[in-house]
Amino acid sequence: MSTKSVTKSSLAVHKQASAPVLLEMCSVRVGSTLFGLPITHILEIVGHTCPQDVPLAPEFVGGLVHYRGDVLTTVSLRQLLGLSRQNANAKGGNVSSHDIIVLESSAGCFGLLVDSVGEVLTVSSSDHELNPSTLDAHRSALFAGAYKLQQGLLVMLDPERLDPMHLGAVAA
Amino acid sequence: MDELTREFLIESQEGLDRMERCLTDLEERPQDTELLGEIFRSVHTIKGTTGFLGFKRLEKLAHTGENLLGLLRDGKLSANQPIISGLLKLMDALRGVLRTIETHNHEGEGQDAHLDEQLIALLVELQRPGAVPVTVESQVSISAARETAAPETHLSPANAKPSPPALLDSDTAPAPPAAFAIAAGPKQSAEPTPDANKPKVGAASDSTLRVDVVLLNRMMNLVGELVLTRNQILQATALDPSFTMLSRRLDMVTADLRESVMKARMQPVSNVFSKFPRIVRDLSQMLHRKVRLVMEGQETELDKSLLEAIKDPLTHAVRNSLDHGIEMPDVRIAAGKDPEGTLKLRAYQESSHVIIEVSDDGAGIGVERVRSKAIERGLITAERAAQLGERELLQLIFLPGFSTAEAVTNVSGRGVGMDVVRTNVEKIGGKVELESRAGNGTTLRLRIPLTLAIIPALIVRSLSQSFALPQGALSELVHIPADRIATAVEWIEGAPLYRLRGQLLPLIFLDRMLSPNMPKATSNPSDSGLEGLPDRDHFVCVLDADGRRFGLVVDGLADPEEIVVKPLSAVLKTIGLYSGATVLGSGVLALILDPGSIATRAGVTMSRAEEQSDMEVEDEEDAMRSKFLLVEAGERRAAVALADVIRIERLPMHRVEYVGYRPVLNFQGHLLPIEDSAGVFAAAGGDPEAQIIVVVCREGNRQVGIAVSHVLDVATGDELREAGSQHRADGVTLLNEHVTGIVDLRAIPPLPVSSLSEERQHTQWDQVSEEIAETIA
Repeated sequence: MSTKSVTKSSLAVHKQASAPVLLEMCSVRVGSTLFGLPITHILEIVGHTCPQDVPLAPEFVGGLVHYRGDVLTTVSLRQLLGLSRQNANAKGGNVSSHDIIVLESSAGCFGLLVDSVGEVLTVSSSDHELNPSTLDAHRSALFAGAYKLQQGLLVMLDPERLDPMHLGAVAA
Repeated sequence: MDELTREFLIESQEGLDRMERCLTDLEERPQDTELLGEIFRSVHTIKGTTGFLGFKRLEKLAHTGENLLGLLRDGKLSANQPIISGLLKLMDALRGVLRTIETHNHEGEGQDAHLDEQLIALLVELQRPGAVPVTVESQVSISAARETAAPETHLSPANAKPSPPALLDSDTAPAPPAAFAIAAGPKQSAEPTPDANKPKVGAASDSTLRVDVVLLNRMMNLVGELVLTRNQILQATALDPSFTMLSRRLDMVTADLRESVMKARMQPVSNVFSKFPRIVRDLSQMLHRKVRLVMEGQETELDKSLLEAIKDPLTHAVRNSLDHGIEMPDVRIAAGKDPEGTLKLRAYQESSHVIIEVSDDGAGIGVERVRSKAIERGLITAERAAQLGERELLQLIFLPGFSTAEAVTNVSGRGVGMDVVRTNVEKIGGKVELESRAGNGTTLRLRIPLTLAIIPALIVRSLSQSFALPQGALSELVHIPADRIATAVEWIEGAPLYRLRGQLLPLIFLDRMLSPNMPKATSNPSDSGLEGLPDRDHFVCVLDADGRRFGLVVDGLADPEEIVVKPLSAVLKTIGLYSGATVLGSGVLALILDPGSIATRAGVTMSRAEEQSDMEVEDEEDAMRSKFLLVEAGERRAAVALADVIRIERLPMHRVEYVGYRPVLNFQGHLLPIEDSAGVFAAAGGDPEAQIIVVVCREGNRQVGIAVSHVLDVATGDELREAGSQHRADGVTLLNEHVTGIVDLRAIPPLPVSSLSEERQHTQWDQVSEEIAETIA
């Protein structure tokens, strides 16, 4: 739980803060959007994996992957954002290859399926803005504001809110 | 010294070490309830265990201390210095006794009795609030008392002369007597036990280490991972000879490592057995029976989690034996038996299972009584009961709600007994067997797998994915070829059924169940029939989930595999159909199907009483006895009992390897000795690609392979009798009008497992020994 509060407070730092804090965010791309994840929550980035489908699983579950002796549940960010499953063939097979970010949340570890993982960006807390009020409820529940970068916006994701347990509870 | 005592010593020593630390802290923070709680627990644990091990002296001391600590913990008394020093004194006395136990294996009862009494008196005195004046000088006596932390000699009678009655009464406590070597000062006395004591007590605790179970689980997990990686490496390097030696070495090291880690989780069954003497004593007194408890094989080891799981079933079994098995002494005398009954707990290992037997020499189970009780309780109809044989009737006692007890007592009779035993044991993948000889006693046998983490499973294919099906629930497999699918599956209003030896078996199509979007032939009677079924091979896995029999239809079957069960995340557990996931040898993930939940979801209910399906299996087994697989080996025909046949393998000649002169097959690390007395391998010539056929059979607990040239037929054998004497001829049977020799699987010598020669010895392989040559006759 301590990690959670750290994230919350770090994301919530406002412009008013006298000394802006520099934070490191891992950038990932899904569709055309650039998302950011605090590197403090990332355990590992696994490239080119083929998650195994779980029939009858909730929609947001991207399948299972084998990760260091454990079976890791993954969350498909594309699915969460309402995008089509990339490369997925008609039979729902597991031919599509993804990058997986292994994240640690208070409830345990899970994988996040993204299209591609980019570089680690250093952002300043002074550039943080909260979610715009026009964002639909579904998305604003997932996003934790955005950082204004030179090249565009970095939309922040909160690992706690992406946790399959949390998503499962919200969906239910 | 037995294991239990040793463990007790280590545990107590740790407890006392903790207590010592806490006591010193307590001096500074006398109100700290956490510290008090910790001290209380240490003493309480010692007291609890000693009573049970029969260390009376220790128990008495610990008990008095516990009383005092209880008052402190409850805040009725506050920890002042005399109390603390009294407690330290108690601790030292406890240490002294522990040392005596460790060196002499007895607690030296009666020794230093007056010292003990003084200490007890002191501790009792301390329980009276304000009994002991708290003065500055008491500091001195504290240090004195602490010094009794003391070498053993201090407690020996020789030195233990008149210690002052109120040792801690600071006014009257001058220099303590010779026995209590006076301390240089409080500082020094705060040191833990003098070194002189350490080596002896440390002896037991130095060689062992307590490890967090979580860490062990993690290690087990990683080893499982290593096993999988090894499997993949073995597959990948199989074709490259330069890697063979390396990967073999990896193979061996991994196997050793896995064994060691598994061993680390093992605990002797004595951990569970040890509580039975008490239970048996109490129960036999309550029931007025005379019972002698005999325990064997206590050193047999079992995985910790399994040990926990069998505690309750064993207790039930023991209660049952005492209440229903062993008779009253007068009844026993009348029956010409020793008035004292014997209850025997026996544990031993048998290949990959640990067998735990609970046997008594009591009255046995009255089969007729079981029959009438079952009818009376409405568990079975009278007509059915009349048809049942003795063995089937015995199975009835496992039905929920069954009890033969005349009245409900607090020992047994509620009808929750044997079914709980069976359910609990089956839950951990074990089996329960029951044997009873009327008048001579009953034996209940629990067959427990060595470990929970690895289970045998059949890998099936559906939806172009692999799924693992636990072998435990699988009773048979039926192949429906593509051209027969239309006729083989019958429908009742959309519910697919299969006729299995005349019985209708409900079918569940795995692919339909797992993908709700697929057109459901089952929900729409109009297209019932073949329309919904694709024209390809189907496989029916006949499953038995808690008495519910159904056929799970899958698209394909792969190999059976020993799988390492990995837990699923909570969000996937809620789906309910999967009990876990596993990584197959090929590196592919497979979900483990839970037959029980599948049955529940598909609405399969216990259509018939459970025992009926049991009976079917029995009948089937009987039928199997007289059925034989007819094979041709060399030029001769031979028969293999079909009940013994597990599978038939067709593989290239190069898969056969040699241990000494004996041909073996390596199935993922499991060696299968091959019997080739007919020279089938020689007939294949040196061609490594030549296909050979091996019939894999079960013999006792092992598996053996028989090399054959052809598999001809399955036929029912008739027995042959010697002309004149009418003796049944052994080893031969009449198959298809021909007298055919039956392969004697028992004659196949076991592999010299421990002395496995690593090198292949090609040159010796045709030296087939004489007795083997005779087995296929």
